[in-house]
Amino acid sequence: MNFLPLVLYAAAGAAYAIHFARRSPQAGRIATTLLILAALVHTFVIGMQTMEVRHVPFANPSRAVATFVWLLALSYLYLEVTTEERAMGVFIMPILAGLQLIPALSPGVERMDPVLDSPWFWVHVSSLLFAYASCALAGVLGLTYVLQFKEIKKKHLGYFYTRLPSLQTLDVMNSRAVTIGWLFLTVGVAVGALWTAQARVLAPNDPNLMAMSLDDPKVLGAVITWGVYSFAVLSRRTMGWTGRRAAWLSAVGFAIVLLNFLPINYFVTTSHTF
Amino acid sequence: MHLLLLGVSHRTAPVELRERLDFSSRDVGAAVESLSAHSSAAESVVLSTCNRSEIYVAGDDPLRARDEIETFLSDYHQVPRDVFRPHLFVYDDVEAARHLFRVASGLDSLVVGEPQILGQVKSAFQTASERRCTGPLLNKTFHWAFGVGKRVRSETALGEGAVSVSFAAVSLARKIFGRLDGRRVLVVGAGEISALTAQHLRSHGVEEIAITSRTAAHAEALAAEVGGHAVPWASLRQAMGSADIVLTATGSQRPIIVREDVEMVLGRKRAEPLFIIDVAVPRDVDPAVSEIEQVFLYNVDDLQSIVQENLARRGAEIARAEAIVDEELARFTAWQRSRRAIPTVVALRQRFEDIRLAELRRLDSRLSGLPPEARARIDEVTRLIVEKLLLEPTEQLKALPDVETQAAYTEALCRVFRLGDDTHEPSERDPAPVSVEDGADHDR
Repeated sequence: MNFLPLVLYAAAGAAYAIHFARRSPQAGRIATTLLILAALVHTFVIGMQTMEVRHVPFANPSRAVATFVWLLALSYLYLEVTTEERAMGVFIMPILAGLQLIPALSPGVERMDPVLDSPWFWVHVSSLLFAYASCALAGVLGLTYVLQFKEIKKKHLGYFYTRLPSLQTLDVMNSRAVTIGWLFLTVGVAVGALWTAQARVLAPNDPNLMAMSLDDPKVLGAVITWGVYSFAVLSRRTMGWTGRRAAWLSAVGFAIVLLNFLPINYFVTTSHTF
Repeated sequence: MHLLLLGVSHRTAPVELRERLDFSSRDVGAAVESLSAHSSAAESVVLSTCNRSEIYVAGDDPLRARDEIETFLSDYHQVPRDVFRPHLFVYDDVEAARHLFRVASGLDSLVVGEPQILGQVKSAFQTASERRCTGPLLNKTFHWAFGVGKRVRSETALGEGAVSVSFAAVSLARKIFGRLDGRRVLVVGAGEISALTAQHLRSHGVEEIAITSRTAAHAEALAAEVGGHAVPWASLRQAMGSADIVLTATGSQRPIIVREDVEMVLGRKRAEPLFIIDVAVPRDVDPAVSEIEQVFLYNVDDLQSIVQENLARRGAEIARAEAIVDEELARFTAWQRSRRAIPTVVALRQRFEDIRLAELRRLDSRLSGLPPEARARIDEVTRLIVEKLLLEPTEQLKALPDVETQAAYTEALCRVFRLGDDTHEPSERDPAPVSVEDGADHDR
């Protein structure tokens, strides 16, 4: 079921690449159409899974990745529609298609530990997944800012200069994405912490809950991520860290998010293994 | 009906002559009316810009028209024929259309791909059309040219990239700051290029232009010219602190802005970009200033090399634009061929219609007993039969691949149906003016 969205994301990616390389408006329209189709199909797939297991499927890591991909696709589409700017698609689609490979190849079994059966769980996971989607957008915006900044600074006005929106536009969009990402990170992490404390009382011997501390790499990773984005939000407002510095921060922030979301989530953590 | 074009342009005539033959400084509408009155050609358009004066006419006798236009040019501008004749280019039919298509798409411009020319061609046509000086052939040809211009603009990069130093500076500023509304500019040194660039920046919406010069009067004069305000030379650094774009163009022999100045005014907290354009030679800004993180420093050579790159890029697009012109020209000539068949088609239809009416008249006495509805029905049916009979031959005649075959077919038809001498093309003028927008997308 997760193959069809994968194929459509990849096709949209190819169209965005053609649009970017040849600056063809027609390829751009095809790309957007394919992405809308992919998002619709993906919505349907997730909807079906929700009906099947009677809750939004993100209790296992693969399903959570699929949900993240879906949220990122929707967030990107929102950004594209509101700014009428398609240049970012070529950077986002590889992330979508690459991550969608995971649920497509190993869908995993959606089985829910009774400990997770709490409204807090949904708030915790959905906030963080949405925060990660914003971080991904901010990271891509930061990356493109840096690429174009270098071209203008070095006076080699080339490939990116003719294709990307202005530095100012990239910076404003980056600022919005970082702020939204930070807000949802805050909610997600805070709810996670409060809910752990509450759940420990209800299920005192659960090994997962016992491992839920700063010693656990995933928890530590989340806290570091929150720290980085808090600094990004704060430094922009109080220290004037806009432009290139903000761009670098959001690129680094997204790298940590990815690290925490994939390798650490799959192989290292001992706490989030319900 | 033939197309004919006579003109001078920057390719054929020196500026002195172009000035003498220029229509645009006077009333182009009156010129095209006067031309129309003095010429046997049925349709005429006058296209006059600073780089060209061109007269397009459509008529049945191109040789006579050419002579009349030369006389008109000579009389209207008070320039003897011998003076402009060596510089005049003359094209007819396909070549005239090709020239117009190339002009409309910016291929014939001094700066290849410059965007204004399409609008100028449109307004030249509009002017003539409003005065009922155009007709079916020029209407079609000009509208086709608008379509070609549009295609070249949207399908090639012929018009992309700034090709002057001041436009290059403005486009860089837009790439850094996005919209320039609300941005502040500081101009240091009140020269010609500062004035030009400041005006470009102003037209892109910058909010405030501060101007400073060692000679306060120069600063005030430029401030009045571009709608800015003068700042004393002594407060240069202070003014720099609140500017987003700094443009320097003084005659100073030594740098007037050094790294320490900029570092000081930016302070540690400011991370907003500062764009410094140094068009002075020798340079006004120490190159070390560009080492500051958020400063983009461009000198006149940097801008010049952007211009060169853009020109080269436009050059690379010329072949693609020419291919579009060729393609459209092929379609256009096919249309013209189909149009040549029209007189024959009209005569043929007339012939059939005459026969139909004659037969109806002959039967009139016998049909007079019928009710009016039945008579109307008979009229309708006979008309439909004639239409149906003529439909296929008409299509075939229009679609013939070349002029010779077409002539042979026409000849045959004339003989077979005794079409006689009444196959002349209708050459009446188009009764109503045609707006530029109406037919901008010519049928293909």
